[in-house]
Amino acid sequence: MKKIISLLLALCLVVSMASVVMAADAPEGASEITLWTYPIGNWGNEATVKELTDAFTAETGIAVKVEYLTYADGDDKVNTAITAKQAPDLIMEGPERLVSNWGANGYMVDIADLFEEEDKAEINPAALAACFAPDGAAYEYPLVMTAHCMAINYNAFVEAGADQYIDKETHTWTSEQFLAAVNALYETFGDPIGAIYCNGQGGDQGTRALVNNLCGGSFTNPEHTAYTWDDEKNIQALKILYDLNGIDYDASIVGGDEIANFYNGIFKMAFCWNIAQQLNPNSADTGAGLTLNGDEIVFMAFPSEDGVAKLQGGIWGFGIFDNGDAGKIEAAKTFIKYMCDSEHTADAVRASNFFAVRGTTEGIDISGIWSDNEIMNEYTKLMPMLGDYYQVTTNWAAARTAWWNMLQQVGAGDGSEEAIAAAVADFCAQANGQ
Amino acid sequence: MDKTLSPKLRRQENISGYLFLLPSLVFFLAFVVYPMVMCIWTSFTDANMNSNTADHFIFLDNYIELWKDPVFLKALVNTLIIVFVSVPIVCIFSLWVASVIHKMKEGPLSFFRIVFYLPVVTGSVAVTVVWKWMYNNYYGIFNYVLKSTGVIDKNINWLGDSKFALWCIIIILLTTSVGQPIVLYVSALSNVDHSLVEASQVDGATNTQVFWRICWPQIMPTTLYILVITTINSFQCFALIQLLTSGGPNYATETVMYYIYYTAFKLYRFGYGNAMGVILAIFIAILSAVQFRLAKEK
Repeated sequence: MKKIISLLLALCLVVSMASVVMAADAPEGASEITLWTYPIGNWGNEATVKELTDAFTAETGIAVKVEYLTYADGDDKVNTAITAKQAPDLIMEGPERLVSNWGANGYMVDIADLFEEEDKAEINPAALAACFAPDGAAYEYPLVMTAHCMAINYNAFVEAGADQYIDKETHTWTSEQFLAAVNALYETFGDPIGAIYCNGQGGDQGTRALVNNLCGGSFTNPEHTAYTWDDEKNIQALKILYDLNGIDYDASIVGGDEIANFYNGIFKMAFCWNIAQQLNPNSADTGAGLTLNGDEIVFMAFPSEDGVAKLQGGIWGFGIFDNGDAGKIEAAKTFIKYMCDSEHTADAVRASNFFAVRGTTEGIDISGIWSDNEIMNEYTKLMPMLGDYYQVTTNWAAARTAWWNMLQQVGAGDGSEEAIAAAVADFCAQANGQ
Repeated sequence: MDKTLSPKLRRQENISGYLFLLPSLVFFLAFVVYPMVMCIWTSFTDANMNSNTADHFIFLDNYIELWKDPVFLKALVNTLIIVFVSVPIVCIFSLWVASVIHKMKEGPLSFFRIVFYLPVVTGSVAVTVVWKWMYNNYYGIFNYVLKSTGVIDKNINWLGDSKFALWCIIIILLTTSVGQPIVLYVSALSNVDHSLVEASQVDGATNTQVFWRICWPQIMPTTLYILVITTINSFQCFALIQLLTSGGPNYATETVMYYIYYTAFKLYRFGYGNAMGVILAIFIAILSAVQFRLAKEK
């Protein structure tokens, strides 16, 4: 009897395992699609996204299963899913991942057919261009965009008498004014005023924009075929920042830590900032545009020689992974059209806390969806300063890491122009795959 | 197997035995053997993430490139520093703690077991967050204590300075690594044959002689196990690096495990990353074999 029971138990184990394997392979209908989204404003918030997807399901009958990614390990999850042939049907992120990475590597569906002539006319040209690969295939349909900027603790600026160096109305300043402000702050508060965070992970756009704007350097060539951050102007900017009291190259913190330090009042300025932080600078929800102790946060364009910065843009939208299921691809396209080009687009944009990439959609004017929000309205002053969207340059992932490593090496070096130039040349060559 | 059983019953026992083995065997083949074979095979190819191009067999090119890659060599040196520093310290410290506490009464013994084992069962992310706070450049407790006692006059960027970063990682690794060896040593020391200890004491052996001549040989298998496990864990140090320094500053904390991850999952060079994995496995195997050999000789 014992032997029979043990035999049955063993069989149960085998059968249950087999059923698990078979269940994993069971085909699903196109009535359900999966969406993985990075934390793009409230597109990382389950309650907000559920509202949007429930409305979509009610209208189309297509259910959406959502998974929320973080920037810390989101890429790893997606790459693991791709290699395991378990990629989601839809993904929400920017062209640097959807077009330059997964699209270029052959994992995305060409969705050029979703762009009608009318759409092409309505969508911001820079955002539109970023969604297309050089061969004409489109791997992303854009929804929202913003300009990345920096932020200052206005109360600290006033206390140090540095408020005279900023134009609070236009949110701009020159490089000279920036340096004068940092010096004034340093004299009043001592170390630290801010930090060139370079531990790695996200937020690299902030340090790039600071360095590139300070003396007018460039990051890539206009054709987006090569990295050009070894130019003399960038070396000059890196040297200025190295010598500047109060600003250190800090390899122990990432962009998120910098924001936290700024929010906690330790830093008087932050280089990793955009409208999402301005609206909600902390998870404690203590108020938009305020630090923890209630100091006023003023967003600023990055300082440049002429006071007109070229800001780094952020573009976010949807792409479809090619999982070989025509039904799901069609359902995913329906989702994209619903969110990005319909009467529901305004809700999808609002959820992101960013700006729509188009003024109208299907004849509906959505340019004024933030008219009731003072901060968003104020932030639109930065949008004309949007610079080249160069994140689609070849070898982007390696270039980002090379940038961090370059900053770390500059910070660890002796600060001589030769040492900085050597570090910049070395890592720029790495970015260019040499 | 019982030879008095009839052939039919013996066959039935065999079948049920194999069926019980089957689930774990399937998992072992699917999740250990198959990935290992694939890892070795792809290390000879230029496998990457691009689905538009086929993988090419490039034989030893990845391995040749490895020895010319300054980042890999730096990572290898860092990894070896971690291993050669942390393994002896873990073994000696845990043996010392265990020898002190194993004779204690149940209450204090349990207390010390819990104290030393707590970091092991605490999630590595939680442990890392606490350490990151303590090492913080601006408000960390280490800087606060050292500054307020006059040891330093300017904050030290523990994780951001290449002089300190690797040692900071090693300290965290030590705190999370000693728990299990202490518990094992306590158990091993408790199982030492006390009649031999008493007999040697009657013959006038000193405490040191008793430890080295009586106890040490009996806890040698435990020591060997601890050595091998600690070595493997030290070679595979990854989570701390990923969560704290990402290999920086300036590659000061780059380890082979982290570089494998970076190469495979950030640069998508699976072949090259796997070649590193194979080299790492060879290093671990050699070091483990040496440890076994030395222990056997003893």
